[in-house]
Amino acid sequence: MAVHSITVKQILSRIRQVFPDVPETYVMNLINDALVEAGMYNSKVVHAKMSTAANQMWYDLKDAAKDSSNNVLEVNKIFRVYFMDNDGDYILIPRLIDKDLLLTDVSSESALQAPDSR
Amino acid sequence: MASSIKYPENSCRWFIEGDSFCLITNVDSEGDANTTARKNWKAIQEAVTDGILLYYYAEPNGVSSLSDVPDIDNSLHLALVDYVKKCLYMDSAGLAADPNASTVATNMSMLHKQKWDEAVKRFGMKKRDKTGGMRSILPHSLT
Repeated sequence: MAVHSITVKQILSRIRQVFPDVPETYVMNLINDALVEAGMYNSKVVHAKMSTAANQMWYDLKDAAKDSSNNVLEVNKIFRVYFMDNDGDYILIPRLIDKDLLLTDVSSESALQAPDSR
Repeated sequence: MASSIKYPENSCRWFIEGDSFCLITNVDSEGDANTTARKNWKAIQEAVTDGILLYYYAEPNGVSSLSDVPDIDNSLHLALVDYVKKCLYMDSAGLAADPNASTVATNMSMLHKQKWDEAVKRFGMKKRDKTGGMRSILPHSLT
């Protein structure tokens, strides 16, 4: 247990030193607003696994999206992605910055260099 | 089940578009390079259970009862008090009939807003960084 962490009741008691009549439901709503805002920053780092589907390019990250264990993801900002290789190890994969360059080619196929085969 | 991709760092890319995560690869379901250069990067062509591992900032769990402890580091708990006071002072500024009382409440609201911003936005990451010790840089070899 942390050295000192405070409960909602303790937060409420501190608030009521100045605002004695404030309803606890309203304070709880404000605390939840604050938690949403704090979640935008480095306050809770989580890792989750997702399964891929054949020929599926897009995967949902909405608030209700779930990982492969059916847990709600609640993603705010993804900063690192790994992909499982043929040995079952997770390897860091790069984020594509200039996605338009690769996905919308109007010239012929011969205008592109195929990557080296391994 | 492992994938058939031998070098994901070369064969896979990801990006975010709105609320969607996109994964593309330049190999087929056998792990061989796509032969059509123009459509080299495509959706992954195999189903891989637990194939993607994401690291991300997640939303803290909300509170619903008085006994709940906020789901963030305890160094931020006092900042929650500032956030709530910021809002309540702004409410009272709006309700005050006396302009002087309204001004005082607005100033108090700004004070708590500054404390909240400082705790969470400006110095939050630095204060709660779990990395300790000296910072050292490994230089590139010049030979």
